[in-house]
Parts: sequence; structure tokens; C-alpha cells
Amino acid sequence: MNWRLSVLVVAVVALLGVAIMSTQVPPATVFKTLFEGSLGSASRISDSLKEITPLLIAGIAVFVALQAGLFNIGAEGQLILGALSGVLVAQRIPGAAGWVLGSLAGMVVGGLWALPAALIKVYRNGHEVISTIMLNNIALLLGSAMVNGPFKGKLSGAPTTDPLDKGSMIPALMIGNLRISLAIFVGLALAIGIAIWIRKSVRGFELRAVGANLRAAEFAGVEAKRVMIRAMVASGALAGLAGSFQSLGYEGRFYPDFSPGYGFDALGVALLAGTNPWGILPAAAVFGILNKGSSALTIEGVPKGITGILLGLLIIVFAAVRYRESKASGS
Amino acid sequence: MSEFVVELRGITKRFGTFTALDDVSVKVRPQSLHAIVGENGAGKTTLMRVLQGILKPDSGTIIVEGKEVHFLHAEDAYAMGISMVSQHYSIIPSLSCIQNLMLAAEPGAVINYTQAKQRASQLAERLGVEFDWDASAEGLGPAGSQKLEILKLLWRNSRIMILDEPTAMLSPADSTALYENLKKLAAEGATILVVTHRLPEVMTYCDEVTILRGGKWVGDRTVNETDVNELAELIVGKALADLPEHHPPKAGRANLSIQNLSVKGHRGDQAVKSVSFELNVGEVVGLAGVDGNGQKELFQAIVGVTPAMGGTIKIDASEEPTVAARVRKGLRLIPEDRHEEGVIDDWPLAENMVLGFQEFAPLADGRWINAKEQRMFADRVLARFNTKFSSPDAPIRSLSGGNQQRAVAARALEFDPKVILAFQPTRGLDIAGMRDVYMAIRDACDKGASALVVSFDLDELLQFCDRVLVMNRGQIYEPAPDMARDRAELGRLMVTT
Repeated sequence: MNWRLSVLVVAVVALLGVAIMSTQVPPATVFKTLFEGSLGSASRISDSLKEITPLLIAGIAVFVALQAGLFNIGAEGQLILGALSGVLVAQRIPGAAGWVLGSLAGMVVGGLWALPAALIKVYRNGHEVISTIMLNNIALLLGSAMVNGPFKGKLSGAPTTDPLDKGSMIPALMIGNLRISLAIFVGLALAIGIAIWIRKSVRGFELRAVGANLRAAEFAGVEAKRVMIRAMVASGALAGLAGSFQSLGYEGRFYPDFSPGYGFDALGVALLAGTNPWGILPAAAVFGILNKGSSALTIEGVPKGITGILLGLLIIVFAAVRYRESKASGS
Repeated sequence: MSEFVVELRGITKRFGTFTALDDVSVKVRPQSLHAIVGENGAGKTTLMRVLQGILKPDSGTIIVEGKEVHFLHAEDAYAMGISMVSQHYSIIPSLSCIQNLMLAAEPGAVINYTQAKQRASQLAERLGVEFDWDASAEGLGPAGSQKLEILKLLWRNSRIMILDEPTAMLSPADSTALYENLKKLAAEGATILVVTHRLPEVMTYCDEVTILRGGKWVGDRTVNETDVNELAELIVGKALADLPEHHPPKAGRANLSIQNLSVKGHRGDQAVKSVSFELNVGEVVGLAGVDGNGQKELFQAIVGVTPAMGGTIKIDASEEPTVAARVRKGLRLIPEDRHEEGVIDDWPLAENMVLGFQEFAPLADGRWINAKEQRMFADRVLARFNTKFSSPDAPIRSLSGGNQQRAVAARALEFDPKVILAFQPTRGLDIAGMRDVYMAIRDACDKGASALVVSFDLDELLQFCDRVLVMNRGQIYEPAPDMARDRAELGRLMVTT
């Protein structure tokens, strides 16, 4: 291992140590709580899976855009509107068709929400980071307005839709207290499918070419504009799916604060995975487990932020390792 | 004090299992122009990077002005008065000339521009050039950038200057001016190391020459006591095979037919002005001209990445709307700027060889990539010009510039090309590589393709092409048949009218 990397790891561990010490809870307790709070029982594992599902699917969404050279910061907004539209459709269609069409509606709305950013990027050279951040704000307020206004439920005073019928929700496999939603299986299938597609298909090759060197891709006959628009819309659709799965598979209704920032954490998931599609699942698992564990920490009097620090440090270390690797293989 | 200003003794440098430099020694006399020549991958640039402190040798010693030195960083070498102008200029277009000159060597935290410009003008005078110091560096052509880069070395009080392929981007006249300036600097006390492929330059301007081959020292010669043939033999290790023969231009079917083509330049001007020409089957046509006369825009329009303002481009008698369709018709490109337009630096070599052919059977069947076919294809392309590489999975940027160029040139000859557009195809290549590339282009043309070759080296075009056109201010001129190979006439068309 390179000495700079060793120094970094030591520094990271020290920083984390200082952060934990400052809470005056023994580090062993912190890690034990984190572990038990996320994986300690069947119901806690079920809750962790609930966190992992949107992170996995939105992580794939961000990954796809990133491979085409686009930073989809808008995953959060696409996810929120996907969740809302999923519930609205599923409320109106009884039975399994409810969640199937609801999920599709989430994808359509998520994709459409990403489209303006794609068009602005491709035809007006406006940076997608700026436009997606702004679309996030609009989405958040729009979602909130909808459940305060036209779609406010009749059963509660709070800004939320009425709960869905159990029958219109995504089914789950129950093993004792362990609840595994079909949503996570779909997420897994998507992760595998995307990993194969991006490495083995001609379109995947072209998408990666556009992301790695736009100009060279154009010279190689790739229609870069079309590829970028498609990638951004696909990314939005996936983020929308992550949102609709969350409301249809877990929450059973839509309220504006259902997402603690899955769309933003998805950026971290994609960054941790880097260019390796097989890295998305483990990255999503780490994020999901730590997110779930952090709620248990709060009870111990340790601020939630500690897991944020841990995740941030993890991304830095991975970025450094990757940089070293790429330097070692170049001249 | 020794009679040498720089001595490299027994330098060895390995990258993994690859030995880039094997026990190389070079001695440089003060105030000399010392050339380092060798094939691509011979270790020239690596050696210069060792001298410059960018790479640490695994063994060997560096002696500067009689003292053994150990460079940890480029700054250490720079403090000893050693610095380098690399093949790719590091001029920042959005800064002014004076800001570029001072970059990373500013006189203090607060800059007195009046004083700085005074000193800059004095330095420029020493070199016999003039600059508008407040103008942005954007407008500097290759020659201007080169001059500014050399002034940067003077600004840093460099006494030992290293120039890597300094004339690669220069016109013949600018090259001559460059060497005259270098001579002047040497006379005033500088020592200059030039890494180059161009033996005529070595013979005309340099004092001493060191020859490297395959990472090993092959010999030192005093220029007065050697000739081009001996140097060429030392470089390649064997006598050169015959050059390809010229074919008389033959009338026939045109593979590429351009009619009244106009293309907008990036400054909004008209870079290509209603040009018409044809490439007949079997022809290798040279396009001579000074850099910046529309060659780039012409190529981009033919490829299809820049839209034409007017006119038609027919490949094999049909107009194709997209780049992909033109590639399918048989259009191939050896691009001007490899890193920007030709390859994806971070990608594995194998995937870079497929780039442009990603949809072609058998590399893909329908929507899916056939990894085995891709690999076999890449192996075949890389074998064509003996590209030296560690593994087809290594990123292409891990190859030396010349080997990258070999790979890109070899790629352009695949899948039955009809029209080969080559922009400085031999840029950065040594003699053997240059011959290989032209032989291969000729070979493809014998099998029914046509080639259009842009080069700023008129001699190269006259040597290898059947017919030479001249591009000047957006227009294309063809010399009268009796003057077709007349160097003076072509030169006149390049710079007058």
C-alpha cells in the first residue's frame, strides 16, 4: 500500500475516533448499537432492507447518468414525484394492477422530470447539476403542495394521502418476522441487468464512450446528444421507480418527508461504486445499514451525523484508492 | 569542474516488469545543442523526465555541473536551472501572454506588471521575437505558443533546456526560426537538449546526438562526423526497406467527391471556402499547407462532426447524413488530436481499438458485444504496426505517444476502408513507424481505398503521396501537372495568393 494511502487511512480512523469520543459514548458501544440496531433482529433487518431498496435503485439511476458523463443531482426530486404519482395511480386501480401501473407511472413521471435537464444540457449547454438542483426544489414543493391541496387524505389532518389498500401494494415475502418486499428483488434484478447491459451491449459501450470522452465518441459515430438525453431520462425513470417502490412497497401512502434524502445518498452510493456496476449493491447495503443503525444510535444519545461522517470518510478513502490505482496503471 | 554540464550515468528505470531505461548514460557539453534520437518507446521522453526530476530512476546517478544531484521533485531540477517544454504545450488560452509567462514562477505575491513586462520584453528581445503581452494567449498559433514556452524557460532562468519534439507542430519556416533562436541561446550560455525524430534537423542544427533503442544506449555521435543513413541505421538497428512507389494519378471512379464544400470556422469566419476535389480509387493524395488554413475544419466536415454550410460530400457516390453512416460506408480517420478525437485515455487498449466499429459484425452481433471477437480483433490491430503494450486491458494512456499513434493508425485501416482521412498520421512516429503507416495506407489504397493525408511536412508528402494539393486560406489549389512535384511551386501556393 502506498504510504500516502496509509496516512490517509490512519487519519480517517483518527478522525472517526475523535468524532465518536466527543459523544462520550464508548466506541465499542457505538459500533455494537449500530450493528444491533440494523441487523440485530428480523424486524430490524426488514427495516434495513427498506432503506437499502431505494438506495439501490436510485444508486443505479445516478450510476447510469454518471456513466454517460452526467451528474443527476435530481434523483431526489424524481424520486419524490415518482412516489407521489405511484400512490395516486395505485389508489385508483385495485389489486396487483395497482402497484404495477403505479410503478410504471413513477417511472414515467421520474423520466419526464429529468427530461428538461437533459434538453437544457444537450441543446443549450446548461449544466445539469444546476438544473437538476432547481428541479429538486420544485419537486419537493410540488409534492408538498399536492398533499396539502388536491390530494390531501380525508383520514388524517396531516399533509398525506390516504393509505393504500393492502391489495394494491407490492407484495412481500414473510419469513417469520423477516419481511422481504418484492421491490428489493426487482432492485437486485435491475442491478444485475444494468451491470451486464453496460458492459456487454453495444448501446452500453456507446453510453460509456460518451461519458468518458464525448468528442471521441462523436468521431466514432456515436450520436452523443441522443445518448445523453436517453441516459438522463433513463436515470430519472429509475429514480422515479425507486420512489414509487418506496411508497407502494413500504410506506403505503405518500407524504412529503418520506425520503430522508435517498436521492442524495444515491449519489454517495454511485460514487462509492465508481465505474464498477457490481459495486452498487454493496455500496447501497452499507449506506442502508448505516442509515438504519443511526436511528438506534440516537437512542444512545449519539447524534445521527456520526454515520454521515463514516460514509463521507469511506467515499474519500475509496476515491483515493481508485486514484492510486489509475495512477499505477498509467505512465 | 568536468567538461560536461550534465552527465547521466547508468540510469535504469522500470515500470512494473517493463524496463523503460536500461543502464543509459549521456554526457552533454555546455552550450551545445544535443539531440536525443530513437524510435518510439526507445526511452527518450522517460530519460528526459528523469533529468527533469519528474521520475526517480531505479538506479544510476545524475551529475549537474560536476555535482551529483538527487531530485525528489521537478522543483529540485528547476532550482538547478533545468526545465522542459513538453510536446504538448501548457499555455492557458484564457490568460494573457504575460500571465502565461509568469505562471507558477511569479516574481512575488503582488505582481508589478510594468516591471514584469519590461523583463519579459528583454527576454523576448534576446530570442528575437515580439509579444503583445496583454493580449490573451488564445490567438497564439503553434509557433507562437512554442516561442512563449521557450520564453517561460528563460523567465525561470533555465540554463539547461529540454525540448520534446519541438517542431512537431511547426511549419518548415517556423522550425528554422526556432533552431536559429536555440542556436542563439546556446551561444549565450544555455545548454539545449532536443528530443526529436527529424534527422534533417539534427544534421543541420545540432552539435551532438545520442541514440537510444529499446531503452538502451546505442551510441553518441558528433554531428559533423556522421550522416543521416548512419543515424537511421543506429535508430532502427537495421537498414530500412524500400519506400512505397508512387503511382501515376489515374482517372476513374471517385471514392470521395467533394463539391463546393464550405465550412464555418470556430471564430465564425468561413474556414473552408467552396472547395471541390475528388479522391480516385487507389490514390494517396497529400494536402499540404501551413497549419490553420482550414485543414481541420475540412476534415471535421468530411467526418460529419461539423455541419457543412453548403456543398456536397459523397463517399462512394452517396451522401450520408451521419458520422455512423459514413463510417459504415468506409470512412476512416486518423485524427489530428488523438486524445480529444481518437481515443478514450482511460479505457483499455482493446476497447479503444473497437471504438468506431462497435456495431460491426463480428465484433457485435446485433445488440450485444462479442467479447471474444473484440479481443481477437484488438490483438490483430495492435500486431499490425508492432504496437508495444503490456496488456490489451491496460489503459491506452499507459502507452508511449508513438505507440498510441501506431494503434490509432492501425485501427483506421480495418474493415475495408474506402476513404482514409489522415491528419498528421506520423506525428510523433519514428522513421520505421512512419514508413509502416504510409506502407499500410498505400496497401489499403492498392486494394481499392483512397487516402487524403494532411501534413505540415511537405517533404513527407512529396515522398509518400501520388498527388499533392495545397490548402491556403480555406481554398484548395492543385499545381499545374508539370509542376506537380515541384517543391518551390508548392511552397509558393502554400504562402502566397
